[in-house]
Amino acid sequence: MSNSGNEIDQEQVNYSMMDKKRKYALLIEAHSQDLYKYALWLCKDKNMAEDVMQEAFLRAWKSLDSLREAKAAKGWLFTIFRREHARQFERKQFDYKDVEQMDTIADTNNMGYDDRPEAFALRNALIKLPKDYREPLEMQVLGGFSCDEIASILDISSSAVMTRLFRARKKMRQILGHETMPQLGVVGN
Amino acid sequence: MYTNEENIEMNCLDFRRLALSDPNSSQPSFIIHGKECPDCRQYIAGVMQMDADLSKSIDVQMPASLMARLELNQILEEEAQESARKNSGLRRYAMAASFAAALFVSGFFASNYFGSASLIDEDYQALLAGVAEHMNEQPLTPVWDAQKANESANTHLANYDGEMQLKFLENLQFSRICPMGQYRGLHASLETSNGQVTFAYIKGDRVDDLLDASYKGYVARIKPVRGGNLIIMSRTNKALQVADRQLEKAIYWDI
Repeated sequence: MSNSGNEIDQEQVNYSMMDKKRKYALLIEAHSQDLYKYALWLCKDKNMAEDVMQEAFLRAWKSLDSLREAKAAKGWLFTIFRREHARQFERKQFDYKDVEQMDTIADTNNMGYDDRPEAFALRNALIKLPKDYREPLEMQVLGGFSCDEIASILDISSSAVMTRLFRARKKMRQILGHETMPQLGVVGN
Repeated sequence: MYTNEENIEMNCLDFRRLALSDPNSSQPSFIIHGKECPDCRQYIAGVMQMDADLSKSIDVQMPASLMARLELNQILEEEAQESARKNSGLRRYAMAASFAAALFVSGFFASNYFGSASLIDEDYQALLAGVAEHMNEQPLTPVWDAQKANESANTHLANYDGEMQLKFLENLQFSRICPMGQYRGLHASLETSNGQVTFAYIKGDRVDDLLDASYKGYVARIKPVRGGNLIIMSRTNKALQVADRQLEKAIYWDI
């Protein structure tokens, strides 16, 4: 999990004893910012990100009684969000005919991202990754999830997550020209 | 591929594989190797720096208005659930309801007598009632293709209010000038991914402020616009929000 102070406090909270409204307020306070960051990156559109966020939180509210442990809250919320995103994205295909083209732009205006060239290059490198590699990396770097949590959210094995993360970072480094260190396999020890 | 034996010494190859998979790994052999091997220490620092830079490059602040909406949606949902729960108990408590209705009526007369204002101003209620009444009277709404619906909307608007203009709405399904209770106005419907939304533009005196309200199973918004009022109604708050945002961009005045 991410190391933000909020979440450490969150993990010490006993959700099962808590009033539903309080639980919901804590969820928003602790995870909405991280989720928004992830949402905007995934949707590449402010309005859509906000719509999906709202719908996901509404669904979370409806099934909040099933959430017992605070430490599971973030993964639970991201899972709801990803399902909602998949549902809405499917519906809105007609609005987003050229998502691939949008992806190559990497930087949509008005999204509030860092506009320095280095930041642009990083976002571009991330977008260039195949989806299977990109997804776990986004979850680890943006969401702060552990490999086991990513495995659970993506419903794949932990070793598959590790392999995808390895390939994702390796490719990122190649794209960014960071592979100046000795290559894997030729390092002596 | 990876060693799970924590006490086995890790070589540079395994270290770098793990560094790329899980740079924050707490495996003791990984941590020890990172401390002992300067090259690998430099390598992991590079990986972690890339992660930090990547995270920073995508960092954005969530709009405060979204936070407010997340809270508001929950309150509306809770109210809707509460209302549904109450409705299901209505039959069972018919007697009690009759009594409550009697109380309400007497309260209404009493409040009128003493000059108290009702919760929602009459103008808002009349506008909502007009649109809802028309929707209930005409449950069958035609669904046209967007081209036809937009052409129709522009033609009707030119006759109804020469100043109001509508940009092309690709999800506009229908538009017509219709009687709506004591009013007459432009009635149109939009298809959104969250359901159908009906909106009406009624010329005349404007209400003071925007009002969101729940009305006979609909979520409604009444907003004053130049020359009159815009009433948007839908079954879901979500659809209403989407439609309102869309209309804000599409409606303009040619003056």
